[in-house]
Amino acid sequence: MRRTVLVARRVVRQLLRNPRFLVLSVAAPLVIVYLLKIFFDTLPEAFDVARYAVPVAAFLVHFLAFLLCAISLVQERTMGTMERMFVNGFRRTEIIAGYVLGFLGLATFQAVAGLAEAIWLFELDYDGETLGMLFVVVWLLAIASVMLGIFISTFARHEGQVFPFVPLIILPSVFLSGLLVDVDELPRWADWLGHAFLLFWANDVIQDVIESGWTFEDVQGSLAVLVAYSVALLVLASLTLREVE
Amino acid sequence: MNSIEVSGLTKRYGRVEALGGADLSVGRGEVFGLVGPNGAAKTTLIKGLVGALRPSSGTARVMGLNPLEDRAELRQRIGYMPQGAALYEDLSAGDNVGFFGAAHRTPDLKKKVDEVMHFTELSGRADDPVHTFSGGMKRRVSLACVLVHRPEVIFLDEPTAAVDPQLRSRFWKTFRELARDGTTLFISTHLMDEAMLCDRIAILRSGMIIASDTPRSILENGRTRLTVEQDGTEEEQTIGGHPEDLAAALRPYGLQPGVTAIDVETDSLEAVVLSLIEKEEIG
Repeated sequence: MRRTVLVARRVVRQLLRNPRFLVLSVAAPLVIVYLLKIFFDTLPEAFDVARYAVPVAAFLVHFLAFLLCAISLVQERTMGTMERMFVNGFRRTEIIAGYVLGFLGLATFQAVAGLAEAIWLFELDYDGETLGMLFVVVWLLAIASVMLGIFISTFARHEGQVFPFVPLIILPSVFLSGLLVDVDELPRWADWLGHAFLLFWANDVIQDVIESGWTFEDVQGSLAVLVAYSVALLVLASLTLREVE
Repeated sequence: MNSIEVSGLTKRYGRVEALGGADLSVGRGEVFGLVGPNGAAKTTLIKGLVGALRPSSGTARVMGLNPLEDRAELRQRIGYMPQGAALYEDLSAGDNVGFFGAAHRTPDLKKKVDEVMHFTELSGRADDPVHTFSGGMKRRVSLACVLVHRPEVIFLDEPTAAVDPQLRSRFWKTFRELARDGTTLFISTHLMDEAMLCDRIAILRSGMIIASDTPRSILENGRTRLTVEQDGTEEEQTIGGHPEDLAAALRPYGLQPGVTAIDVETDSLEAVVLSLIEKEEIG
């Protein structure tokens, strides 16, 4: 636990010492949500903005949390600091848990900022309970995205090798998660494939809670899948991160 | 007990044998050099000793401990400086050293960090981010990260690669001070002038140790070109590199007044190493 905290503190310190990285990870989703607002303003008034605003903000948090975490960990490997940590006694579980803890703060901030901007810009009117659940689901998605980033980083030898995973994993989730079209309208196999993406479960919760009259029972299943996904990715990352060549 | 014992250590990557059965031993407080050209498997051998690599066969013991099975205990007692800087560039030099020092539960960490920063002459730049440092300064930070927890055995993979002669000389002064205090140093290098500074060296070629001895003894495998000017004529001959060979070659001349000049040109360690490698390749 002591070494986990050491890694987490070091990750946070690195994030704070890298303003460009911080600006990119926080400001970029805010700018994109604003561009989305400009785009939605051109659509007919009958268009259901609420159906898309929060899920798009959630997607941006998902994408950036995944990408930044994966790249940071791959950099550890290419710079030789990963090997140095192992030789200095750090265990892989300590490193992974430290990264999760370290990125937790950033993921939380991204979730709060992205969600707050979407609600403010699109003038969405939700009660406190709904806002709380929206935050929980975006936050859980961000944590799961950090785990996904850690897991994917184990397959990349350098930063450039992270990018092929974007069209392979991140972009299909936009089309198959119900974000753009109802999954019931997709072919059966595509509907099934959509269930494999984190964004599907997050979007499922979001769509439920933005409709009035939702209960916790309506969303607990999808929330549980998001938690299970995070744990599974954490275990997989622990198994694939190699301490010894 | 020797600090390092290696017996028949091999490492294969698929069909390629990177390390082909290394045997060596290094005593406590010894400065041991692993000499060889690029691709000779120097890094592979070091990684096998620090537990960063699983050997295909053979055994390695560092302070009597198995680098893989006893890694928790061993890693408290060894230091490893990789070939690259292996530092967090956004963090300060002090933060880097503190991070690796804290991993070992180093007592009085702040004081120890200050000490190693002073030792590596980095005190004035301790709070500056590493990305503002020159290559040589990064090597010093990297060395400070190794020294902070006072390891008993230190593995240094080409520690002076791409550093200027002044800094190299400072590094070697540091290595000698550490060895005097009983620290064992295992240093890989492809620079022959550095190899001469080691107590003993092993020459590694394509994953095989082809010679292991003191640098002076290895030099005796070389040749000496002797030129004697006597009564206005020059006589040249090539003899062995051993001091006794020179004595035998000079004996016939005695101290006759006609001998006006003697020129002795011995093979450099580099030439001897190259000839050993050549012999190995032909053999």
